[in-house]
Amino acid sequence: MLAQGYAIEANRSSFVGADNSIWRKLISSPDQLRQRTVLALSEILVVSMNGLPVAWRGFVTAAYVDWLEMHAFGNFRQLLEAVTLSPAMGVYLNMRGNKKEDTATGRVPDENYARELMQLFTIGLVQLNLDGSPKLGSDGRPLETYQQAQISELARVLTGWEFDNAQASDPGYARRPMVHIASRFSPGAKKVLDVDVPASADGPAALKLALDTLFNHANVGPFIGRQLIQRLVCSNPNPAYVQRVAAVFNNNGAGVRGDLKAVLKAILLDDEARKAPSGDAGGKLREPVQRFVQWARTVGLSSPTSLWNVGNLSDPATRLGQSPLRSPSVFNFFRPGYVPPNSLLGSNAVTAPEFQLCNESTVAGYLNYMQSVIQNGVGELKPSYTAHLVLANDASALVDHWALLLAASGLSAANLNAIKAAVASVAASTDAGRLNRVLATLLMVMASPEYLIQK
Amino acid sequence: MAQISHVKTLQRREFMRRASALGLSGVAAPWALNLAAIGEAAAQAAPTDYKALVCIFLYGGNDYGNTVVPYDTASYSSYAAIRQSIATPRAQLLALSPKTALPDGRELALAPQLGPLKAIFDAGRLGVLLNVGTLVQPTTLAQYKAQSVPLPPKLFSHNDQQSVWQASNPEGATTGWGGRMGDVFLNANGNATFSCINVSGNAVFMAGQQAVQYQISSSGAVAINGITKPLYGSQACSDALRSLITAPRSHWMEQELNRVVSRSVSAQSIVSSALGGLAALKTPFDSANSLAMQLQMVAKMIAARSSLGAKRQVFFVSLGGFDLHDFLPDQHPGLLSNVANAMGSFHDALIEIGAINQVTAFTASDFGRTLSSNGDGSDHGWGSHHFVLGGAVQGGRFWGQAPVVAVNGPDDVGQGRLLPSTSVDQLGATLASWMGVPASDLSRVMPQIANYSQKDLGFFL
Repeated sequence: MLAQGYAIEANRSSFVGADNSIWRKLISSPDQLRQRTVLALSEILVVSMNGLPVAWRGFVTAAYVDWLEMHAFGNFRQLLEAVTLSPAMGVYLNMRGNKKEDTATGRVPDENYARELMQLFTIGLVQLNLDGSPKLGSDGRPLETYQQAQISELARVLTGWEFDNAQASDPGYARRPMVHIASRFSPGAKKVLDVDVPASADGPAALKLALDTLFNHANVGPFIGRQLIQRLVCSNPNPAYVQRVAAVFNNNGAGVRGDLKAVLKAILLDDEARKAPSGDAGGKLREPVQRFVQWARTVGLSSPTSLWNVGNLSDPATRLGQSPLRSPSVFNFFRPGYVPPNSLLGSNAVTAPEFQLCNESTVAGYLNYMQSVIQNGVGELKPSYTAHLVLANDASALVDHWALLLAASGLSAANLNAIKAAVASVAASTDAGRLNRVLATLLMVMASPEYLIQK
Repeated sequence: MAQISHVKTLQRREFMRRASALGLSGVAAPWALNLAAIGEAAAQAAPTDYKALVCIFLYGGNDYGNTVVPYDTASYSSYAAIRQSIATPRAQLLALSPKTALPDGRELALAPQLGPLKAIFDAGRLGVLLNVGTLVQPTTLAQYKAQSVPLPPKLFSHNDQQSVWQASNPEGATTGWGGRMGDVFLNANGNATFSCINVSGNAVFMAGQQAVQYQISSSGAVAINGITKPLYGSQACSDALRSLITAPRSHWMEQELNRVVSRSVSAQSIVSSALGGLAALKTPFDSANSLAMQLQMVAKMIAARSSLGAKRQVFFVSLGGFDLHDFLPDQHPGLLSNVANAMGSFHDALIEIGAINQVTAFTASDFGRTLSSNGDGSDHGWGSHHFVLGGAVQGGRFWGQAPVVAVNGPDDVGQGRLLPSTSVDQLGATLASWMGVPASDLSRVMPQIANYSQKDLGFFL
């Protein structure tokens, strides 16, 4: 963002440049698996441009993505620490500026980060078996992982953190982890779950103990593992699949816990990921951003100005109804436990998170937006189909080609034939006709239920 | 297979109507004709009048302490002492003069940004519901502390308490009380699709056993360009596209996807033609206020109630951003201003279209917040104050008990988190009864209502 000249006074209170930088990486960066993983992580360890009222907020957002990128194939413990101390998360969930209690005024530490660090980023609300199923108490109800009192205790541990030398004139602080101010740190003994934090531990030592304790909790493997599977492979993974992945989280084979590279390998090379699922509940609805990025990468969308002005695609009626790093809240665009009501998915209790974004407005918004961008691109970003026009003379080969690239040839013969027949009816005697064949093929493949449900 | 057995449980006429709504009978049907026929058939069923509920959900947990503020001097000074730098100065507050004074000299005021709501309160069409929240049964502080009665699951957690508010169960619940009310009235509506209408994004509140929420955008129903016009110049491609995106599928996810698209396609033509026949609303709505734009669409849909064949409808709108652990003094006033202006415009529009006595709007939120300050904001709480608006409401009054303003007081479970004195179950049952849900069906809508002796809060005329 510095290279593109975004560090000017006019951008101090705006997100200008952040979308650009994120889209550039998602669409054009050669390390595709890393980018895909970053998108997944950004939907688990959520920070959103809806809720960063801070100077140089565009830089703060971009720096957060950089940290996710840096640790995507690293260790979850380091990722957790980078996220915790990032100015973005500091602002988004308010650990930045969190001060010790004041008995004179009754002021108490801010509980936001303490709560969501446990609920969303590490252990979740209920105790889990290795396969992700809840542990049940004698009354048959799930056992909870913590109570309100333990949130208040952890909030005290997480006091004292502040930006590192934030200057009004300089976005540089966005890339520096927050620093600790001892005078704001809650005094006395504290607890993280059932682990004692002695009064002698200073702020950084107490934070280390807190992150170590949460990171080593038995829930993290199945809790984070299942969500990564959902983001990357399927909505409703078998418990045995979750268990295999969680076991790798717990130990990568060399005695290391939290090795994300090993976890990703376990997720992507598992039989359940590599084989087409059997049954009627397998797979996942591709999220709208993924569909758009896949199209852009497949057709080689480029930015002549290098500015990648794709912008905010959140509008549900006219765009994708989703845009990276623009979730409505820390609960992401969709919840891992979302079960679509009034459906066979609902009556069979199948979790299908992405369906939370699927409704009568967004399905139309997506098709209309894609119809437009497939033809016209996005502003200065123009797709080029010149190389595909030759193939367009053969409708059957054309449709097979794009069905392979976009849907891994997952379309049924009936739908392929229907698309081929429709495409073949478009005259291919001119370049304009051949281009229309390409455009119609792309839209129909990307509208097919067999494309949209990735298996 | 499950679909077929499901169909057996529905009455034939209802199935026919739902089949149409779900697009099973083909989306190219002459809708205007179907609609007239269906509307006529439905007219034989009860009820004949029109009523609608509008849930205004404030996502993130609204800070009750700075929304409805203690005003009598003793309570205000407790409030100011507890809230410190996040307290609103007393001189700025809008004192309320209720038709019946609160006991013990208690007085309450509205936040300075809620002027439009004060005017409606004064006009007798807005009631203030005190300390409402999720419960399983009536619960005392002693019972809470001893954990001697069942409590709502996952208290203080956003996503779960949103779900408990809307559906009596945590995340993963599949039916909510708005949708279950829709179930009761599916037969009353000419087109079942328009029983539960959401202008805000999927919410479990609006899902019933049979009732399916229909999503409309603030600017109306979105037409799919590729099937309403030739696709890149080709009618054959347009026809193929329509078939691809609406044909029934066997895979459950593909089926759900195409079912949503089918509903989108069939409803869009009906909605667009119904809204197209309306005179423009004269009441201004602020186009920069997302909640106002959602409520404007609700007002338009209500104005089109006859042509949509609607007798009983539930609507859902929302505004986010209320989770103000920080920046409360900076950001909460703007949010309240948007709520008040949007509700004010909606009230005026309901008068304009002659539906003020037939529509009741109410606010809801994940939870209330702490009364204690954390320096620049407040944390997750439980009970909260809410508003109920409409010509059928006994407005200009407080309903429920005003909580004592104290940390570690008789209504506090910690840091000013209110133990609710009125439950969401009672609120939902009261609203359901007004809508005409028979007493025998109340527990179908609010499953826990049997746990309460008071099943109607009495705030309707």
